[in-house]
Amino acid sequence: MSDQYLLSRDHLAPLLRRLAKEYRLVAPVRNDHGDTMFQEIANPVATVPDLESQPQNSLKDFLFPQQEHLYDYRLDDAGGYHFQPPATTTPPTLFFGVRPCDLNAVLYLDVVFLPGRRELSYRRRRENSLLIGLNCNQPFADCFCAAVNAGPFLEEGSDLQLTDLGRDFLVEVGRAGGAEIIRRWPHFFRSAPAEERNRRFQLYLEARGGFSRQVHADQAIKRLAADTLPSGVWEELATRCQDCNGCAYLCPTCTCFTIVDQPQDQHHGRRLRLWDACTATGFTAMAGGHNPVQPGKDKLRQRFRHKLELDVKKHGRPSCMGCGRCVGACFGGADILHFINLAGR
Amino acid sequence: MAGLATTFGSGAMTNSINEIEAAEVILVSGSNTTEAHPQVARRIYAAKDRGAKLIVIDPRRTAIARLADLHLALKPGSDIPLINGLMKVILDENLADDLFIELRTENFFALRDYLYRLDLAEVYRQTGVAPEELRRAALLYGRAGKAVICYCLGVTQHVCGTANVEVLANLAMLTGNVEKEDAGVDPLRGQNNVQGACDMGALPGMLPGYQPVTDPEARQRFAAAWGVEPPAWPGRTLLAMTHGREPDSGDGPVSKSDSPAAKPGGAGGADQPGQPDPASGIRALLIMGENPLLSDPDLNGVAENFRRLDFLAVSDIFLTETAAQADVVFPAACFAEKDGCFTNTERRVQLISRAVAPPGQAKSDLEIIAALSQQLGYPMDYQSAAEVMEEIALLTPIYGGIYHDRLAGGWGLQWPCWDRQHPGTPYLHKYYFTRGRGRFAVAEHQPPAESTDADYPLLLNTGRVYHHYHTGSMTRHSAILNRECRHPLLQINPADARARQIAGGEAVRLISRRGEVEFKAELSQQVPPGMVYGNFHFAEAPINQLTTTASDRRARCPEYKICAVRLEKAGGDEGRRP
Amino acid sequence: MNAVPRDRVRENVFTICPYCGCGCGLYLRCEGDQVVGVLPSRHHPVSRGNLCVKGWQLPEVIQHPARLTSPLRRKNGRLEPVSWDEALAYCAAELGRIGAEHGPEALGVLASAKCTCEENYLLQKFARAVLKTNNIDHCARL
Repeated sequence: MSDQYLLSRDHLAPLLRRLAKEYRLVAPVRNDHGDTMFQEIANPVATVPDLESQPQNSLKDFLFPQQEHLYDYRLDDAGGYHFQPPATTTPPTLFFGVRPCDLNAVLYLDVVFLPGRRELSYRRRRENSLLIGLNCNQPFADCFCAAVNAGPFLEEGSDLQLTDLGRDFLVEVGRAGGAEIIRRWPHFFRSAPAEERNRRFQLYLEARGGFSRQVHADQAIKRLAADTLPSGVWEELATRCQDCNGCAYLCPTCTCFTIVDQPQDQHHGRRLRLWDACTATGFTAMAGGHNPVQPGKDKLRQRFRHKLELDVKKHGRPSCMGCGRCVGACFGGADILHFINLAGR
Repeated sequence: MAGLATTFGSGAMTNSINEIEAAEVILVSGSNTTEAHPQVARRIYAAKDRGAKLIVIDPRRTAIARLADLHLALKPGSDIPLINGLMKVILDENLADDLFIELRTENFFALRDYLYRLDLAEVYRQTGVAPEELRRAALLYGRAGKAVICYCLGVTQHVCGTANVEVLANLAMLTGNVEKEDAGVDPLRGQNNVQGACDMGALPGMLPGYQPVTDPEARQRFAAAWGVEPPAWPGRTLLAMTHGREPDSGDGPVSKSDSPAAKPGGAGGADQPGQPDPASGIRALLIMGENPLLSDPDLNGVAENFRRLDFLAVSDIFLTETAAQADVVFPAACFAEKDGCFTNTERRVQLISRAVAPPGQAKSDLEIIAALSQQLGYPMDYQSAAEVMEEIALLTPIYGGIYHDRLAGGWGLQWPCWDRQHPGTPYLHKYYFTRGRGRFAVAEHQPPAESTDADYPLLLNTGRVYHHYHTGSMTRHSAILNRECRHPLLQINPADARARQIAGGEAVRLISRRGEVEFKAELSQQVPPGMVYGNFHFAEAPINQLTTTASDRRARCPEYKICAVRLEKAGGDEGRRP
Repeated sequence: MNAVPRDRVRENVFTICPYCGCGCGLYLRCEGDQVVGVLPSRHHPVSRGNLCVKGWQLPEVIQHPARLTSPLRRKNGRLEPVSWDEALAYCAAELGRIGAEHGPEALGVLASAKCTCEENYLLQKFARAVLKTNNIDHCARL
């Protein structure tokens, strides 16, 4: 990231208000219950983005929603299907306050969904979106992004990347969409002097020291690659997993899905795409009942191998971004941290 | 819940769900917690990881039983002698909390005298639990500083369900494990708002807030608000309405006290003016969001009774088995399409809010009831659910401080909540029990209504599975849930299957004195020899055609957990059911 | 494109799971009038950031095309769509007639552990004050 600017903290809300006139603005918002989620902000002055907490949901909710209405279908008497896609509009969307883990997750979703020409809805949403990232000066309680090289600072991938320097934000231009914002509204930005750029590096070093957990993901990755996991790991995880699918649904990079038809009557219905999970027994079951995955033993093997072994082989990096959303969410305590700890035993 | 009402005075979970995580010993009885109450199981897993001890009482070796430090696989229906045995060991070992018993309880001597006479050899014979196991469990529970008992329908759905609960309450009082945080007796309620429906007086003998209809003062309070006084005698229970008669009559061996005239919920003792003749039947039913044609015991009896009805009206979100038989069906809004409150198992009254519009012309049940009432000449003029809650707060002391504006933006309020300033009550019975002193209730073994014989040599146990809910009117519409759990399976112990040359996955026919249903066999060590287990979610295999209406005399809870059955290979020639 | 400012974005609507008695707090994620997802509340005392599989699959069920969308009345043995006015008038007339002919004890009402407190309250009030019977119960025991 070459071009660097300063944005005064005081000017952040006016900038967002300006941007919200052009884009659907999506940012972390803390609600009355104290939960923080990415959601649309209609009025960025009345609703201030919450930059203090980790949002519960990731951008997956927006780019690859849990349930997508693909078609209404009609079945004619000859058994032929006739499909009618529902009317959709995809407003240009600006995602603000995206943490490095979530931004890396979007880059991973791009790898999954953008190649080829068949996945239209993801492409439509993604091409209509701008990403303004925010580096993490202080990791959140369950985070371990540094252990999987997904944070706490982002090197590339966003349109604009912000670092909180206190009175100002350091703004780095990443992609053309970001440069366009600087070009159109230059009065919000001023050039960053060299010492402020050095402060960014200082903050990065401090953030790396701020993790509350030591997570040896590299060791789990090595042992998976060499097939030298301690014995009994998969069995222990399988007895703890209670089939909620929650880890996959909360994960910003899990992309399992299924397609189902919901009949209204014999001739009409709707076709949906739904999130699915490789941990679900039925996900791998074949017609006829054979299941290559033994649920009692291997239930979580697919998931952790995919994240920490297969994607490392295929893409050079694990697809776990260390966001920690699944940590503590598991009913039986079989989250990825638990696995990494078991694998390092 | 009647068992906790007689002993503690309040039939509800004494703790909050999160307190379970902090207990030192957790005793789970008759609950398949991981499947039926996953969030409670999550706390149990967390407690275990922290070092807590887990005792599970269940004839089946469920996932939670496998997690347990001690699994007491009792003979079905022998809960009372088992708990009595535990208490005897606790007394013998001087682990009873004498101070608590002295200060907070009554009727202890009756229990003590009974326990002194109790023969542990007899307990072993009745329960099948070895004396050393019993002793280990008693020491574990008796020595705990903070022990929680969680129980579910495996305890209550027996002819002696109320007494089953009473003995668990005895056990907690004997060791002083009530009144404090992280210790208590917790019935896990099965449905999102079953607590709320009870609280709201959707019960034949209770007005809202458990005010008996037989109490003239309570009736006067409601008459003042409603302009009409409620009838003074208790109405009919669910089973009496769905079966057209009081349960138990002509339904196998039951105790003498179960004759119709002695029932509190029945219509016995015609000394009230205007009180109906118990022989007169129900001719019209109005059903809001229930599916008795799949959920109630002895379904053939229910179906026969429904055919006799002059009129049946059903309000529901899908065309359920029951709605399909109705004369008129109202399309109802689902939880995502209306405002109101659900009260969860820990007595937490929580606000739900409308996210989307109901489909088509569907309306909320609130609107439907008000419109019907209007038609019958009694206008119900409420602008919102919040306004209904204001009337509830006025008439229901335990909900006295519960208003929608207080619930919004928070996590709800746990009743009792007496007024607007009251913060709610996370755990019950601090300083005093709802009924004053806790009452020890002595109970003896009562055998199940149906026992096995040569014709029906197996016991059938029924319950829920993780992926489905109740009669499946919602979950069976989810493709993913259906994929995970598509077939009505019958768990059979491999030994029983071998004896009948039944292989896993084979079609089998299960026959009771009331009906027969086909399942796919699942060979499983989860069930002990002599028992089979099935779920009631599946319309294509309505297991409740087999179950008995024999039910607890006081709580009217049917004995879903035990009936006698025979198992056969289904064979291809008859092809009775898909 | 100039986005039209909206007063209130109903995107994450807080509500309570309708399945078991645990009572998880969750958000329904809405796009317009479509439920497109569900999200457990992280700070809710019960859900604590996760749901069981049934709760997670709620969006599939809420707007299922098989939902009932019109009142139905049995005519010639078949249930046929009718207007609300007709359905309500028919139901009220039948309840009134049977109550008058056989007394209120011939009427029964089943409330629901799935419906709200307010609906259950109103239904028992309807049974007791309008139908004049205590024949009201629900499946608490099932």
